[in-house]
Amino acid sequence: MRKIILAMTLVCFCAGVLFAHGVGYREASEKSVALEFFYSTGEKMSYREARVFSPKDSQFAIQTGRTDELGRFAFIPDCEGMWRVIVRDEEGHQANAEINITPEFLQNNISPETQNNIFSDKFGIMIRALLGVSLIFNIAAFVKIFSRRR
Amino acid sequence: MHISEGVLSGGALLTGWACSGVGIAIGLKKTESEKIVRTAMISSAFFLASLVNVKVGASSTHLAFLAPMGLALGWGIFPAVFTALILQAFLLQFGGLLVLGANTFIMSFAGLAAYLLFGKIISRAKNQGVIFTFAFVAGAFAVILGAFLVGVFLAMSNRIFLISAKIILLAHIPLAIIEGIVTGFMITWLRRISPEFLAIS
Repeated sequence: MRKIILAMTLVCFCAGVLFAHGVGYREASEKSVALEFFYSTGEKMSYREARVFSPKDSQFAIQTGRTDELGRFAFIPDCEGMWRVIVRDEEGHQANAEINITPEFLQNNISPETQNNIFSDKFGIMIRALLGVSLIFNIAAFVKIFSRRR
Repeated sequence: MHISEGVLSGGALLTGWACSGVGIAIGLKKTESEKIVRTAMISSAFFLASLVNVKVGASSTHLAFLAPMGLALGWGIFPAVFTALILQAFLLQFGGLLVLGANTFIMSFAGLAAYLLFGKIISRAKNQGVIFTFAFVAGAFAVILGAFLVGVFLAMSNRIFLISAKIILLAHIPLAIIEGIVTGFMITWLRRISPEFLAIS
Protein backbone atom coordinates (compact mmCIF):
# COMPACT_ATOMS: atom_id res chain seq x y z
CA MET A 1 0.00 0.00 0.00
CA ARG A 2 2.82 2.38 0.93
CA LYS A 3 4.48 1.58 -2.37
CA ILE A 4 1.30 2.43 -4.30
CA ILE A 5 0.91 5.77 -2.46
CA LEU A 6 4.57 6.53 -3.10
CA ALA A 7 4.21 5.70 -6.80
CA MET A 8 1.06 7.84 -7.11
CA THR A 9 2.77 10.76 -5.36
CA LEU A 10 5.69 10.43 -7.77
CA VAL A 11 3.36 10.39 -10.78
CA CYS A 12 1.48 13.46 -9.50
CA PHE A 13 4.77 15.28 -8.90
CA CYS A 14 6.02 14.48 -12.41
CA ALA A 15 2.68 15.57 -13.88
CA GLY A 16 3.01 18.85 -11.99
CA VAL A 17 6.46 19.39 -13.44
CA LEU A 18 5.18 18.58 -16.92
CA PHE A 19 2.25 20.99 -16.59
CA ALA A 20 4.69 23.69 -15.48
CA HIS A 21 6.32 23.44 -18.95
CA GLY A 22 3.05 23.54 -20.81
CA VAL A 23 2.22 26.45 -23.12
CA GLY A 24 -0.99 28.15 -24.06
CA TYR A 25 -2.34 31.13 -25.96
CA ARG A 26 -5.31 33.43 -26.13
CA GLU A 27 -6.23 36.52 -28.11
CA ALA A 28 -4.81 39.68 -26.54
CA SER A 29 -7.53 42.10 -25.53
CA GLU A 30 -5.28 45.19 -25.85
CA LYS A 31 -5.27 47.10 -29.12
CA SER A 32 -2.06 46.95 -31.12
CA VAL A 33 -0.40 49.64 -33.20
CA ALA A 34 0.34 48.40 -36.71
CA LEU A 35 2.69 50.40 -38.93
CA GLU A 36 3.67 50.07 -42.56
CA PHE A 37 7.22 50.91 -43.66
CA PHE A 38 8.26 51.74 -47.21
CA TYR A 39 11.01 53.39 -49.23
CA SER A 40 10.60 56.72 -50.99
CA THR A 41 10.32 54.73 -54.23
CA GLY A 42 7.14 53.15 -52.86
CA GLU A 43 8.78 49.76 -52.39
CA LYS A 44 7.85 48.00 -49.13
CA MET A 45 10.51 47.54 -46.45
CA SER A 46 9.95 43.77 -46.39
CA TYR A 47 11.59 41.53 -43.78
CA ARG A 48 13.65 44.38 -42.29
CA GLU A 49 14.93 44.52 -38.72
CA ALA A 50 12.49 46.38 -36.44
CA ARG A 51 13.00 47.65 -32.88
CA VAL A 52 10.43 49.20 -30.52
CA PHE A 53 11.41 51.72 -27.83
CA SER A 54 8.98 52.68 -25.08
CA PRO A 55 8.82 56.23 -23.64
CA LYS A 56 10.26 54.82 -20.40
CA ASP A 57 13.53 53.66 -21.95
CA SER A 58 14.90 55.11 -25.16
CA GLN A 59 18.11 53.04 -25.04
CA PHE A 60 16.95 49.42 -24.90
CA ALA A 61 14.38 48.03 -27.30
CA ILE A 62 11.48 46.33 -25.53
CA GLN A 63 10.57 44.42 -28.67
CA THR A 64 12.59 43.34 -31.69
CA GLY A 65 11.63 41.49 -34.81
CA ARG A 66 11.19 41.86 -38.55
CA THR A 67 8.60 43.48 -40.75
CA ASP A 68 6.43 41.17 -42.82
CA GLU A 69 6.42 40.86 -46.61
CA LEU A 70 4.34 44.04 -46.91
CA GLY A 71 6.65 46.01 -44.63
CA ARG A 72 4.22 45.88 -41.67
CA PHE A 73 5.13 45.67 -38.00
CA ALA A 74 2.84 45.69 -34.95
CA PHE A 75 3.31 46.14 -31.22
CA ILE A 76 1.14 46.59 -28.14
CA PRO A 77 1.92 49.72 -26.10
CA ASP A 78 1.32 49.47 -22.37
CA CYS A 79 1.88 53.08 -21.31
CA GLU A 80 1.22 56.56 -22.66
CA GLY A 81 3.89 58.75 -24.26
CA MET A 82 5.97 58.87 -27.42
CA TRP A 83 6.83 55.37 -28.67
CA ARG A 84 9.51 54.90 -31.33
CA VAL A 85 9.77 52.14 -33.90
CA ILE A 86 13.01 51.96 -35.88
CA VAL A 87 13.19 49.84 -39.01
CA ARG A 88 16.49 49.57 -40.85
CA ASP A 89 17.99 47.61 -43.71
CA GLU A 90 21.57 46.57 -44.49
CA GLU A 91 22.10 49.40 -46.98
CA GLY A 92 22.07 52.34 -44.55
CA HIS A 93 18.35 53.16 -44.76
CA GLN A 94 16.52 53.70 -41.49
CA ALA A 95 12.91 54.68 -40.86
CA ASN A 96 12.10 56.28 -37.48
CA ALA A 97 8.42 56.18 -36.64
CA GLU A 98 7.08 58.12 -33.66
CA ILE A 99 3.67 57.26 -32.24
CA ASN A 100 2.07 59.34 -29.53
CA ILE A 101 0.14 56.96 -27.31
CA THR A 102 -2.57 58.85 -25.45
CA PRO A 103 -4.54 57.77 -22.35
CA GLU A 104 -7.61 57.66 -24.65
CA PHE A 105 -5.91 55.04 -26.81
CA LEU A 106 -5.07 52.87 -23.81
CA GLN A 107 -8.57 53.18 -22.33
CA ASN A 108 -10.90 53.45 -25.33
CA ASN A 109 -8.78 52.19 -28.23
CA ILE A 110 -8.92 55.55 -30.03
CA SER A 111 -6.34 55.57 -32.83
CA PRO A 112 -2.94 56.97 -31.82
CA GLU A 113 -1.38 60.07 -33.32
CA THR A 114 1.22 58.90 -35.82
CA GLN A 115 3.56 61.36 -37.47
CA ASN A 116 3.03 60.19 -41.03
CA ASN A 117 5.92 60.10 -43.45
CA ILE A 118 5.65 62.77 -46.15
CA PHE A 119 5.67 60.13 -48.88
CA SER A 120 2.13 59.17 -47.92
CA ASP A 121 1.05 62.54 -49.35
CA LYS A 122 1.77 62.85 -53.09
CA PHE A 123 0.54 66.45 -53.28
CA GLY A 124 2.82 67.39 -50.40
CA ILE A 125 5.83 66.00 -52.28
CA MET A 126 5.08 68.14 -55.34
CA ILE A 127 4.88 71.29 -53.23
CA ARG A 128 8.09 70.41 -51.41
CA ALA A 129 9.88 69.63 -54.70
CA LEU A 130 8.87 73.02 -56.13
CA LEU A 131 9.90 74.73 -52.92
CA GLY A 132 13.28 72.98 -53.04
CA VAL A 133 14.01 74.06 -56.63
CA SER A 134 12.92 77.59 -55.82
CA LEU A 135 15.20 77.67 -52.78
CA ILE A 136 18.19 76.42 -54.81
CA PHE A 137 17.77 79.23 -57.35
CA ASN A 138 17.27 81.76 -54.55
CA ILE A 139 20.51 80.62 -52.92
CA ALA A 140 22.28 80.85 -56.31
CA ALA A 141 20.94 84.38 -56.85
CA PHE A 142 22.11 85.38 -53.39
CA VAL A 143 25.60 83.91 -53.99
CA LYS A 144 25.82 85.64 -57.40
CA ILE A 145 24.86 89.05 -55.96
CA PHE A 146 27.24 88.54 -53.05
CA SER A 147 30.16 87.53 -55.32
CA ARG A 148 29.55 90.56 -57.64
CA ARG A 149 29.61 92.98 -54.71
CA ARG A 150 32.96 91.56 -53.62
CA MET B 1 22.46 55.99 -51.97
CA HIS B 2 21.45 58.15 -49.00
CA ILE B 3 22.68 56.88 -45.65
CA SER B 4 20.00 57.49 -43.03
CA GLU B 5 20.42 59.35 -39.76
CA GLY B 6 21.48 57.26 -36.78
CA VAL B 7 23.29 54.58 -38.77
CA LEU B 8 26.89 55.89 -38.81
CA SER B 9 29.23 56.10 -35.83
CA GLY B 10 30.71 59.40 -34.57
CA GLY B 11 34.05 58.71 -36.28
CA ALA B 12 32.41 58.02 -39.64
CA LEU B 13 30.27 61.17 -39.33
CA LEU B 14 33.33 63.32 -38.55
CA THR B 15 35.28 61.79 -41.45
CA GLY B 16 32.37 62.58 -43.75
CA TRP B 17 32.18 66.20 -42.60
CA ALA B 18 35.97 66.68 -42.86
CA CYS B 19 36.18 65.25 -46.39
CA SER B 20 33.11 67.07 -47.66
CA GLY B 21 34.25 70.30 -45.97
CA VAL B 22 37.51 70.24 -47.95
CA GLY B 23 35.60 69.43 -51.15
CA ILE B 24 33.05 72.22 -50.62
CA ALA B 25 35.82 74.77 -49.94
CA ILE B 26 37.70 73.81 -53.14
CA GLY B 27 34.42 73.69 -55.07
CA LEU B 28 33.37 77.17 -53.96
CA LYS B 29 36.80 78.57 -54.80
CA LYS B 30 36.77 77.01 -58.27
CA THR B 31 33.18 77.98 -59.13
CA GLU B 32 33.21 81.18 -61.17
CA SER B 33 30.43 83.73 -60.79
CA GLU B 34 29.16 83.05 -64.35
CA LYS B 35 28.70 79.36 -63.56
CA ILE B 36 26.55 79.83 -60.45
CA VAL B 37 23.24 79.64 -62.34
CA ARG B 38 24.43 76.49 -64.13
CA THR B 39 25.41 74.99 -60.77
CA ALA B 40 21.93 75.82 -59.40
CA MET B 41 20.30 74.23 -62.44
CA ILE B 42 22.26 71.00 -62.04
CA SER B 43 21.73 71.03 -58.29
CA SER B 44 17.97 71.30 -58.92
CA ALA B 45 18.10 68.38 -61.35
CA PHE B 46 19.90 66.30 -58.71
CA PHE B 47 17.36 67.37 -56.08
CA LEU B 48 14.45 66.30 -58.30
CA ALA B 49 16.10 63.13 -59.63
CA SER B 50 15.61 61.45 -56.27
CA LEU B 51 11.85 61.65 -56.83
CA VAL B 52 11.94 59.92 -60.21
CA ASN B 53 11.48 56.21 -59.64
CA VAL B 54 12.90 53.68 -62.05
CA LYS B 55 11.49 50.15 -62.03
CA VAL B 56 14.23 47.49 -61.91
CA GLY B 57 12.56 44.07 -62.00
CA ALA B 58 10.44 43.64 -58.90
CA SER B 59 12.21 46.46 -57.13
CA SER B 60 12.59 50.17 -57.93
CA THR B 61 15.29 52.78 -57.52
CA HIS B 62 15.89 56.44 -58.34
CA LEU B 63 18.40 58.21 -60.55
CA ALA B 64 21.32 60.11 -59.02
CA PHE B 65 22.99 61.87 -62.03
CA LEU B 66 26.41 61.61 -60.35
CA ALA B 67 28.58 61.47 -63.48
CA PRO B 68 26.65 64.13 -65.45
CA MET B 69 27.02 66.43 -62.44
CA GLY B 70 30.73 65.74 -62.17
CA LEU B 71 31.33 66.19 -65.90
CA ALA B 72 29.36 69.44 -65.94
CA LEU B 73 30.62 70.99 -62.72
CA GLY B 74 34.00 69.45 -61.89
CA TRP B 75 34.86 70.39 -58.30
CA GLY B 76 31.70 72.49 -58.24
CA ILE B 77 29.79 69.25 -57.65
CA PHE B 78 30.53 69.49 -53.90
CA PRO B 79 28.58 72.72 -53.17
CA ALA B 80 25.85 71.65 -55.64
CA VAL B 81 25.31 68.27 -53.95
CA PHE B 82 25.60 69.79 -50.46
CA THR B 83 22.86 72.35 -51.19
CA ALA B 84 20.56 69.76 -52.74
CA LEU B 85 21.10 67.30 -49.88
CA ILE B 86 20.32 69.91 -47.21
CA LEU B 87 17.01 70.60 -48.94
CA GLN B 88 16.34 66.89 -49.45
CA ALA B 89 16.91 66.32 -45.72
CA PHE B 90 14.59 69.19 -44.70
CA LEU B 91 11.90 68.86 -47.33
CA LEU B 92 11.89 65.20 -48.37
CA GLN B 93 13.31 63.50 -45.27
CA PHE B 94 16.11 61.85 -47.28
CA GLY B 95 19.27 61.15 -45.29
CA GLY B 96 19.61 63.57 -42.37
CA LEU B 97 21.53 66.56 -41.10
CA LEU B 98 24.23 64.76 -39.07
CA VAL B 99 24.93 62.34 -41.90
CA LEU B 100 24.92 65.18 -44.46
CA GLY B 101 28.72 65.34 -44.53
CA ALA B 102 29.12 61.66 -45.37
CA ASN B 103 26.35 61.71 -47.98
CA THR B 104 27.80 64.85 -49.60
CA PHE B 105 31.25 63.31 -49.81
CA ILE B 106 30.01 59.95 -51.15
CA MET B 107 27.97 61.42 -54.00
CA SER B 108 30.26 64.33 -54.83
CA PHE B 109 33.44 62.29 -54.83
CA ALA B 110 31.86 59.66 -57.08
CA GLY B 111 30.92 62.37 -59.61
CA LEU B 112 34.27 64.11 -59.27
CA ALA B 113 36.15 60.85 -59.85
CA ALA B 114 34.14 60.31 -63.05
CA TYR B 115 35.13 63.83 -64.16
CA LEU B 116 38.83 63.36 -63.31
CA LEU B 117 39.08 59.93 -64.93
CA PHE B 118 36.91 60.32 -68.04
CA GLY B 119 36.61 64.09 -68.51
CA LYS B 120 39.63 64.54 -70.78
CA ILE B 121 38.87 61.46 -72.90
CA ILE B 122 35.28 62.62 -73.47
CA SER B 123 36.35 66.20 -74.24
CA ARG B 124 38.94 65.06 -76.82
CA ALA B 125 36.75 62.45 -78.50
CA LYS B 126 35.24 63.48 -81.84
CA ASN B 127 33.17 60.41 -82.64
CA GLN B 128 29.64 60.33 -81.12
CA GLY B 129 29.92 56.59 -80.45
CA VAL B 130 33.16 57.04 -78.52
CA ILE B 131 31.67 59.92 -76.48
CA PHE B 132 28.62 57.80 -75.67
CA THR B 133 30.73 54.79 -74.68
CA PHE B 134 32.99 56.72 -72.32
CA ALA B 135 30.06 58.68 -70.88
CA PHE B 136 28.27 55.36 -70.28
CA VAL B 137 31.33 53.97 -68.48
CA ALA B 138 31.66 57.20 -66.46
CA GLY B 139 27.98 57.03 -65.43
CA ALA B 140 28.14 53.39 -64.37
CA PHE B 141 31.51 53.87 -62.65
CA ALA B 142 30.21 56.80 -60.55
CA VAL B 143 27.29 54.74 -59.23
CA ILE B 144 29.50 51.75 -58.40
CA LEU B 145 32.05 54.03 -56.67
CA GLY B 146 29.25 55.75 -54.75
CA ALA B 147 27.88 52.36 -53.63
CA PHE B 148 31.39 51.26 -52.64
CA LEU B 149 31.85 54.44 -50.56
CA VAL B 150 28.49 53.83 -48.83
CA GLY B 151 29.82 50.38 -47.92
CA VAL B 152 33.10 51.89 -46.64
CA PHE B 153 31.26 54.36 -44.39
CA LEU B 154 28.98 51.62 -43.08
CA ALA B 155 31.98 49.35 -42.47
CA MET B 156 33.69 52.20 -40.55
CA SER B 157 30.71 52.23 -38.20
CA ASN B 158 30.20 48.51 -37.75
CA ARG B 159 32.11 45.49 -38.99
CA ILE B 160 28.85 43.63 -39.64
CA PHE B 161 28.23 46.16 -42.36
CA LEU B 162 31.09 44.63 -44.37
CA ILE B 163 28.54 42.04 -45.51
CA SER B 164 26.19 44.91 -46.30
CA ALA B 165 28.85 46.52 -48.47
CA LYS B 166 28.78 43.50 -50.79
CA ILE B 167 24.96 43.54 -50.89
CA ILE B 168 24.97 47.28 -51.66
CA LEU B 169 27.42 46.85 -54.54
CA LEU B 170 25.33 44.07 -56.08
CA ALA B 171 22.09 46.02 -55.55
CA HIS B 172 23.49 49.04 -57.41
CA ILE B 173 24.49 47.18 -60.59
CA PRO B 174 21.07 47.73 -62.30
CA LEU B 175 21.15 51.42 -61.34
CA ALA B 176 24.74 51.67 -62.65
CA ILE B 177 23.59 50.38 -66.06
CA ILE B 178 20.60 52.77 -66.15
CA GLU B 179 22.75 55.73 -65.07
CA GLY B 180 25.35 54.74 -67.66
CA ILE B 181 22.75 54.85 -70.45
CA VAL B 182 21.27 58.15 -69.21
CA THR B 183 24.76 59.68 -68.87
CA GLY B 184 25.71 58.42 -72.33
CA PHE B 185 22.74 60.11 -74.01
CA MET B 186 22.97 63.25 -71.89
CA ILE B 187 26.68 63.91 -72.43
CA THR B 188 26.58 63.04 -76.15
CA TRP B 189 23.67 65.44 -76.60
CA LEU B 190 25.31 68.22 -74.54
CA ARG B 191 28.61 67.84 -76.44
CA ARG B 192 26.72 68.36 -79.70
CA ILE B 193 24.24 71.07 -78.65
CA SER B 194 26.02 73.04 -75.93
CA PRO B 195 29.59 71.90 -75.21
CA GLU B 196 30.29 74.96 -73.04
CA PHE B 197 27.79 73.55 -70.53
CA LEU B 198 30.29 70.86 -69.58
CA ALA B 199 33.23 71.51 -67.25
CA ILE B 200 35.32 69.20 -69.45
CA SER B 201 35.06 71.72 -72.29
